[in-house]
Amino acid sequence: MRLNPIVKKDIKVQARSMRICWGVFAYELILALVFFLAMSMIQQERRYTDGNLYASMVWLYPVLGVTQLVILGVVVPVRTASSISGEKERQTFDIMMTTGMTPFSVIMGKVMTAVVQSMLFVVASMPVMALPFIIGGMSWSYLLWFLLVAVLVSFFTASIGIFCSSFCKRTISAVILSFGFYVVFFLGTLLPFILSALFGMNSSYYSTTGYGVIENMYLFWLLNPAVYLCEFYARIMAGGSVMSELVSLTGTTQVHGPIRYVVTGNRWLILSTLLFLTVSFLLLWLAARRIDPIRKRVEKRGRKKVSDQGD
Amino acid sequence: MLQIDHLYKNYGKFQAVSDLTLHVPKGELFGFVGPNGAGKTTTIRMVCGLMLPAAGSIAINGVDALTHRKAIKRQIGYVPDFFGVYDNLKVKEYMDFYGSMYRMNSGEIARISDDLLELVNLSDKKEVFVDTLSRGMKQRLCVARALIHNPGLLILDEPNSGLDPRARVEMKELLLNLKSMGKTIVISSHILSELAEMCSSIGIMDHGRLVAAGHIDDVMESVFGSNQLIISLDEGQETAVRIANEHAGVKVDSVGEHEIRLSHTMTKQEIARLIGTMIANDVVVTGFHRQEGNLETLFMRVTGGDTVREGGKEYAAESDR
Repeated sequence: MRLNPIVKKDIKVQARSMRICWGVFAYELILALVFFLAMSMIQQERRYTDGNLYASMVWLYPVLGVTQLVILGVVVPVRTASSISGEKERQTFDIMMTTGMTPFSVIMGKVMTAVVQSMLFVVASMPVMALPFIIGGMSWSYLLWFLLVAVLVSFFTASIGIFCSSFCKRTISAVILSFGFYVVFFLGTLLPFILSALFGMNSSYYSTTGYGVIENMYLFWLLNPAVYLCEFYARIMAGGSVMSELVSLTGTTQVHGPIRYVVTGNRWLILSTLLFLTVSFLLLWLAARRIDPIRKRVEKRGRKKVSDQGD
Repeated sequence: MLQIDHLYKNYGKFQAVSDLTLHVPKGELFGFVGPNGAGKTTTIRMVCGLMLPAAGSIAINGVDALTHRKAIKRQIGYVPDFFGVYDNLKVKEYMDFYGSMYRMNSGEIARISDDLLELVNLSDKKEVFVDTLSRGMKQRLCVARALIHNPGLLILDEPNSGLDPRARVEMKELLLNLKSMGKTIVISSHILSELAEMCSSIGIMDHGRLVAAGHIDDVMESVFGSNQLIISLDEGQETAVRIANEHAGVKVDSVGEHEIRLSHTMTKQEIARLIGTMIANDVVVTGFHRQEGNLETLFMRVTGGDTVREGGKEYAAESDR
């Protein structure tokens, strides 16, 4: 398989700078602090409940996992926000566009660089992450699941960052816009549910038709990263489903519509993963269109206008 | 090699390029000159696929550049008016990076980049970081980079800006070397004296229009009409004017107290014979010199006025429709 030249070059260039070393150091430092905080809490809890220390160590898995994903969620858009605007600032973008690479392969190269870098951070944290598996007795397959979720989070957040980088001339604007996207995904997806509850739309529990509007508003939560992580850890730690519990609060048996099928088994996680991947590819496709120098809609409009004049 | 037909480009209401028609034959070293804002860089960017024209067509080796971008990219090597280099990347890695962008295999890249680095005189800098090179070296590296995929057409936008005299000479030698290898080169520059030395043909742009194009001699002749000869003399003015008027291809422009100015299309030998005839007829000639048009005067004349000329057979410059 042929490695994208941009990934190869970016990794090489960044590996030679001290920034990556300091980045890993800061990442490990934060993880170490969270680890000691979590350990002291586990110790304290054991003092009162007389529980098993080793069994409690499994809780390091979600604590350290969520910490890492939150750091990635903050760091990746910041780093990728400069991926296109940085090339433009270095004046290498035009040269890149005249080479054999398509705009989409340039964008994919930038995304893959971000994912590979994120994995460098995650892999560097493995000694700390290994504790709940070695001492707490968790299955090693959960580590693989965590790595896959970390890849997904990196890919999704990098897509947002690169999309914003392709639309903004300045890196700082791209960073702000990226976090604006977070507001949409974290809070915007809750809005339909909140509005339908506020305006008194029917729940299937009270409805004569049996079709619940409010419950089906949960479907928007499929694109909520916080809900996704809750669902992921609920399934791993307790074998349950947060969404299934939530829907059952308003009467599981009476619920109709797509939500009834989505909360069954692993479907929520699978569907949510597919949706995040779809949104990511859509953002990347739009970013590729945006950077394509001769595919801008404005230009085409201008072309037609002048052609008409010429005629 | 490069055929541009009725090309237009506008930025809002500003017409950057207007009805540009140009043909550059294979193996030519074509100089693209014009004042700032004339539309040279815009034209170059459109040829390189970095900008969509408002109207018109661009073809390279007969292939439409706007519809067959992938094929066209392999035929063009572009050197912009900036270096565009990465920090923390060595010269060899820089060449590898751009080679792999054209989907070349590593063996092929290594072989070609070795040859190119030798051509641009950077063989001993292979393991040096790009950002530590001098401006002249960076510019030569950019030329090597643009040639990694062996394009037929090399386009350079202001390659000599900011270079010291030595680096300029090296760049000129490199471009002449590439021309001798059969590459078609389009070079935009403000340094007219260098273009005059290098280029076999030129195109002069002003206010988005191509005001003159063709082989340098043809353009000179079309703009200046004929060359001027100034003869200084002490005695025999009337005789000198009579002899000059009798000579075919000579027109007396002005007669001063001690000099006469002639427009002519004579060769050097014919000029010598004319002066000889005057001396033989007792005209006291104290001196004479040919006043030929150069690229600077040509440039000043065509960009200062509204001259629209057509050059040799290979070129066509149309500005008014």
